[in-house]
Amino acid sequence: HPTRSRPPSTDADPRRWHSRLSAILPSLATGCHPVRPRRQIRAATPTRPRSSSRASADLRGRRPSLAMINFVLLISRQGKVRLTKWYSPYTQKERTKVIRELSGLILTRGPKLCNFVEWRGYKVVYRRYASLYFCMCIDADDNELEVLEIIHHFVEILDRYFGSVCELDLIFNFHKAYYVLDEILISGELQESSKKNVARLIAAQDSLVEAAKE
Amino acid sequence: RRRDSPPPPPQDSVERIVEDAAMDLSLNPFSSGTRLRDMIRAIRASKTAAEERAVVRRECAAIRAAISDNDQDYRHRNMAKLMFIHMLGYPTHFGQMECLKLIAASGFPEKRIGYLGLTLLLDERQEVLMLVTNSLKQDLNHSNQFIVGLALCALGNICSAEMARDLAPEVERLLQTRDPNTKKKAALCSIRIVRKVPDLAENFMGSAASLLKEKHHGVLISVVQLCTELCKASREALEYLRKHSVEGLVRILRDVSNSSYAPEYDIAGITDPFLHIRVLRLMRTLGQGDADCSEHVNDILAQVATKTESNKNAGNAILYECVETIMGIEATSGLRVLAINILGRFLSNRDNNIRYVALNMLMKAMAVDTLAVQRHRVTILECVKDADVSIRKRALELVYLLVNDTNVKPLTKELVDYLEVSDDDFKEDLTAKICSIVEKFSQDKLWYLDQMFKVLTLTGNFVKDDVWHALIVLISNAPELQGYSVRSLYKALQASGTQESLVRVAVWCIGEYGEMLVNNISMLDVEEPITVS
Repeated sequence: HPTRSRPPSTDADPRRWHSRLSAILPSLATGCHPVRPRRQIRAATPTRPRSSSRASADLRGRRPSLAMINFVLLISRQGKVRLTKWYSPYTQKERTKVIRELSGLILTRGPKLCNFVEWRGYKVVYRRYASLYFCMCIDADDNELEVLEIIHHFVEILDRYFGSVCELDLIFNFHKAYYVLDEILISGELQESSKKNVARLIAAQDSLVEAAKE
Repeated sequence: RRRDSPPPPPQDSVERIVEDAAMDLSLNPFSSGTRLRDMIRAIRASKTAAEERAVVRRECAAIRAAISDNDQDYRHRNMAKLMFIHMLGYPTHFGQMECLKLIAASGFPEKRIGYLGLTLLLDERQEVLMLVTNSLKQDLNHSNQFIVGLALCALGNICSAEMARDLAPEVERLLQTRDPNTKKKAALCSIRIVRKVPDLAENFMGSAASLLKEKHHGVLISVVQLCTELCKASREALEYLRKHSVEGLVRILRDVSNSSYAPEYDIAGITDPFLHIRVLRLMRTLGQGDADCSEHVNDILAQVATKTESNKNAGNAILYECVETIMGIEATSGLRVLAINILGRFLSNRDNNIRYVALNMLMKAMAVDTLAVQRHRVTILECVKDADVSIRKRALELVYLLVNDTNVKPLTKELVDYLEVSDDDFKEDLTAKICSIVEKFSQDKLWYLDQMFKVLTLTGNFVKDDVWHALIVLISNAPELQGYSVRSLYKALQASGTQESLVRVAVWCIGEYGEMLVNNISMLDVEEPITVS
């Protein structure tokens, strides 16, 4: 049986102060407002996002994207990148720029606003789970409500895999988070709508890895 | 430790971790260095950027040494470290060849991390990628389905046009395989291939159409998406799919819509909303401009539009797609009414997301049925004042589209009233829109002047130069209104002189028509005399 890997309990970082994502997974039954995390959010004066018409020229007028989801981004409240996956061509320099811009745009949005921001002619759908923002960039005419569901699908699968996932899991086992993502999206499109199936596939591959160690 | 030596550094500090590693090395000169999790801990424990850079530099040096020694044992771990370092933003080019070596290894664990490294550290523009083509070809023919899966996933995420051409035959073959998990990956990989090389679309259309008979949901959602892509890439594929797949799609949608509770696919009481949405999207592509196809899907669209629960996001996502499809095809008027009604409901939903989406859809609905959208004008105006900036912007754009001769005056009044209380960030957009509207409908010169004066007073600083130039031109060409203009501007100036454009226009007017001001010349009925000294 594959052992679901957890960061070792002898690890110095105590997990107790990291809120568990699952405990704060908003139930979609109560609507789409991101649930306010337990920690007090400092009421900083929000800097308004710049209007997209003033976006710099180099990323504008790019050729049409290759995928429904152009990229996936997970950033922490402090703006640290926890996971990035790019389904459209972006150079390293462009990626850094994109991350910086989006962090500025999204991290400063208040909790009651809608989960979509317009950015450079694209839409970025984001949702906050505890200390992490899950963001997915789509084209202007894609179905953003569906992408919200895809994000939630991803989070629930992560939760099932890691067992009450929290940010630390995604830091120390980032490569496993990527393996999970690769079973959910390929080329920016959804691959599997059954959480059970994804879990089964990951478990089978994990056991192949365990078997090879012996 | 001797009593006079310094106390050991705290558990988690960089010094401690480095000390531990140094101890490791000194005891075992063949030690491979830090474990992945220790490197991550060291990086997290860094208190300054310089400390972090030092840790990363040390690790990179160790990895480089291992690479040049062609170290086998820790290649796997070093790749993981490289990926983490890459995520932090540091350059990792020296590790790219390691991906290739891992992929070429025979074991699953090596291939797994090798392929992951490939998709993270490289992008399609790099020539190194071409070197993987051979390994990919072998892996696509592997007996282990998981290895085939790894190859398909990597290809689907990162291939270039040449690789797509090279490996398309393998992927085509894999569409016929028995394992559904491989099939679904092959279908998605085919999407990328077709996007990169649209000429190949016709190769896939036969398989895609026949795969619509599958039962496995993963395969279905991938194949339906592939069909949508094929239609976009090739006219021939579009015609083929119109002929061969519409019945099948209607059946799929009907089955999943009528299905009873299926725990594996259930989201908020709906079975597989993702499948619903993808089929709806394909129906839109097929039905666009095709009356025959549109007729076939009419009933099922009506069913989905009326039956789907709209109290959860999943249901609303389906309804959204359904409305988009109805608007996009040659729908009956009954169906269109249904669609606009759904939008109306969305518009009054408490949920910000739903309102935002409704505004978006209403903009598209303008092309289809302007009158229906006009009916929601009041609610849309309310959205212009919403707390959410995304909603405000959408609503404003929509209002701009809704303006016509009959409603321009009340609409403008609402907008100007709001201008007074709106946020500074929004003032600019709002001002521009108001000026644009007013100029478009400026046949009634008196009204035009009134609006412009108000705007100049409230947000003159945001008024563009060519706008107030045009205002001046109009005043100078309308002698009967010059007196009125100069008096109104004078009053405005007295009330508030902070807006620069207002001051400019006012001063110009007073300079040109000062006489009229002082002597109350050519007064209009609506004016009262003022004394100016």
